[in-house]
Amino acid sequence: MNALGPSLAPYVRSSRTLKKWVAPLAQWYANLMGYRKMGLKYDDLRTFLLPSSVCITAAAHEVDFRARGITRSSKEYYDRVYRMKLSAHQSVLHKPLPKEQWMSANEVFRYLKPHIVGVLEEETERAAWDTMTVQRK
Amino acid sequence: MLATRASTAKRLARSFATAIDTKASGVKVAAVDNGQPTTAVTVLIKAGSRYQPSPGVAHVLKNFTFKSTAKRSTLGTVRESELYGGVLSASLSREYLALTTEFLRGDEAYFTSLLASILATTKFLPHEFSEYVLPVVRDESMHASHVPSTLAIEAAHGLAFRTGLGAPLLAGAHSHVSLDSVKEFATSAFSPSNIAVVGTGIDSARLADLVDKALAETPLPSGSSSLSTPSSKYFGGSARIDSHSSDQTVFIGFGTTAPSAALSVLATHLAPPSALKWPSVPRSSTKLTPVYIPYSDAALAGVLIQSPDVKSVTEAAKSIVEKLKKPLTAEQLRSAVSRTKLDAAVTAESREGTALALGKKVFSSADASVESTLAALDKVDAATISKTVSELTRETPTYIAIGDVSALPYVDEIGL
Repeated sequence: MNALGPSLAPYVRSSRTLKKWVAPLAQWYANLMGYRKMGLKYDDLRTFLLPSSVCITAAAHEVDFRARGITRSSKEYYDRVYRMKLSAHQSVLHKPLPKEQWMSANEVFRYLKPHIVGVLEEETERAAWDTMTVQRK
Repeated sequence: MLATRASTAKRLARSFATAIDTKASGVKVAAVDNGQPTTAVTVLIKAGSRYQPSPGVAHVLKNFTFKSTAKRSTLGTVRESELYGGVLSASLSREYLALTTEFLRGDEAYFTSLLASILATTKFLPHEFSEYVLPVVRDESMHASHVPSTLAIEAAHGLAFRTGLGAPLLAGAHSHVSLDSVKEFATSAFSPSNIAVVGTGIDSARLADLVDKALAETPLPSGSSSLSTPSSKYFGGSARIDSHSSDQTVFIGFGTTAPSAALSVLATHLAPPSALKWPSVPRSSTKLTPVYIPYSDAALAGVLIQSPDVKSVTEAAKSIVEKLKKPLTAEQLRSAVSRTKLDAAVTAESREGTALALGKKVFSSADASVESTLAALDKVDAATISKTVSELTRETPTYIAIGDVSALPYVDEIGL
């Protein structure tokens, strides 16, 4: 079970009929969730749990190795923090953003995915190197 | 005794009779095998701090070596080399960037292919730049800035040569280096005409073969290097740096645009290193270090004086200037020449010294063997030294004072 969770999305995308039926349903559900009205992307919802024993002033990416992916692109990190600040302000006002500022359907939603995949690959490689047995030929 | 000396010279000549192989890849290879149990392969690249397009780029590139390549990640490189028992290191000087691998005989194939993949296929990933490289660069710069002797030599280079050799070796705290500038510098530096592969403990033909095979799999960026450096000119000057460290430091030096044996003998004469480890009790707290740094087209020579209090530093500086202006007696000349010869031979027999000598031979096709250096030192006599001194004192000296700036002497106060 990796940090990205199990997913049927690759199977659905590979089949043309499934894609035709499932995609509109998926878009309707995503719009219903309401995060797009607050100007957020899907990966902005991905928060990372801090271990309870760690001091709460540490940033998430300094503690959880899976969260290391966030800081791998400074532009994406800056945009993420900006969108979160904007949506926090809207939450204080108890109002969604005006319609022209909603996140549209053709934005890149899973921007963290390549970074998280990279971190997971590194961790798998580290575990492999740590537990390998060496045999001299 | 004469007989043994002659046979030593012959043995030295045999071990240094190496051929320089130039293979299809265009990279020159030279190696020396003295039968030692370990092998060391060094890649010398003309990418020292004198070739950098902006301050700090060479220092960052030196820390970016041995990171992720197309074939292996950083972790994979380190772990796999550890399994072989090899040691990887990179060092930067003003003229060369040296990537060194030391390992047991028999593992040459892996380490040469590793070096070739580093030169040709380093990925320069942005997250490695910010997570691995920059913190080390900042740390090294910070540590160097707290050591007065390093600070003095750096300041001396800057005043003596201004551009090129005078460019700062390390990235300072305030120089901003971008990933793109490092990538550009690497692409222009890692071209075949700029690289020499030097080996100790390995046969020259075998090393050339391995390098050729490795570069056939991962070819270098072709084309000639676009790196250039201005030819050195000596300027000189003086600088005073306020510092609260315990040592008051003064550097008195001269530079020339031609390194010469007489200059190294002069430096040793001015600050003779003691032949005994503990010459006197109580030990004097003033430390005198001779400095002679030769480059391909320039040299910096002088004395570094360090002491906890200003008075002893001032006295030592005045006595050194007096010594400089007095002609040498025969005994002083002989002891200075012998000591310089010993230091040269000790440097030449170390692994780094051998690699550097071979590298210079490869790049400039000059004979840099130990016997030629020692023979040149033997030819130095009192007349050469006084001629050198008169030439040096005609130019502006390089004078650095670090410590209690209000109390340390000025250049004219010590007699220069």
